[in-house]
Amino acid sequence: MEEFEQELRQAFERRPAPTSLKRRLMESRRTRQPRSHAFRLQRLAAAILLTAALGGGLVWRNREEQRKGEAARQQVLTALRITNRALNQMNTQLAAHGRVQRQGD
Amino acid sequence: MAHDWQPDFEQLVDEHQSMVFSLAWRMTGDRGLAEEIAQDVFLQLDRHLGKIESAAHACFWLRRVTMSRSADALRRRVVRGLDLWVEMEEHHGISVVERTSPLGARLEQLLATLPESQRAALVLRYQEDMTPEEIAATLQAPVATVKSNLQRGLKLLRAKAENHLKEYVRGKEYAREG
Repeated sequence: MEEFEQELRQAFERRPAPTSLKRRLMESRRTRQPRSHAFRLQRLAAAILLTAALGGGLVWRNREEQRKGEAARQQVLTALRITNRALNQMNTQLAAHGRVQRQGD
Repeated sequence: MAHDWQPDFEQLVDEHQSMVFSLAWRMTGDRGLAEEIAQDVFLQLDRHLGKIESAAHACFWLRRVTMSRSADALRRRVVRGLDLWVEMEEHHGISVVERTSPLGARLEQLLATLPESQRAALVLRYQEDMTPEEIAATLQAPVATVKSNLQRGLKLLRAKAENHLKEYVRGKEYAREG
């Protein structure tokens, strides 16, 4: 069996790898690295853009709500002013009407 | 201390490409597939280079991943129902006889006919000169299983060799008697 094992050792010696293997490996490594670096940059840029868009959207929504609130407040104030003026006019008229009645009596 | 070691990818390729390629070829019996496996293994090593702690770790890692990738490739081929050794001869035009002695070539062909677990144990034992304990660690199998695979594989291979190489054995016997 020892002789057979010796035959096996000789038969199973390592074979030289094809010369193209290392070349292909180094090429693949060279092309993969810049691509992965570029890909990382693209991902970062996309993340920044997305964050900016979301942030901008939130700020815009907040300002829009403030603007609408202010417009509503102005409308209420205008309505109150108009009502106040109408009431004042009505009071003036009523007072004038009362004076006329008293003078007639 | 182990972390003082700085892995150099190109140097690792130079040192181990022959080992990785030979393991893959003997496990799959297909030169083209072995090249693909070797390329994948080294590219995976490149991605994991930061986790490699020493030269011995790199060698262990390469052997383990090569055997695992080869087994995966074999399983895929079995599903496709291909005869690997025949494919090697037909598609790649590689004549093993040209390269080694007739007995060596025949032994490699016969190796391809052994069950995968026995083939893996024999390749690591006789190509890489590893102990059963080292083979067990590489294949992530119990030492007893590896020893059993080695014994059975060796016995089976010898029996097949005796059947297929009667002329060679007879020649050796004549030479011994002479």
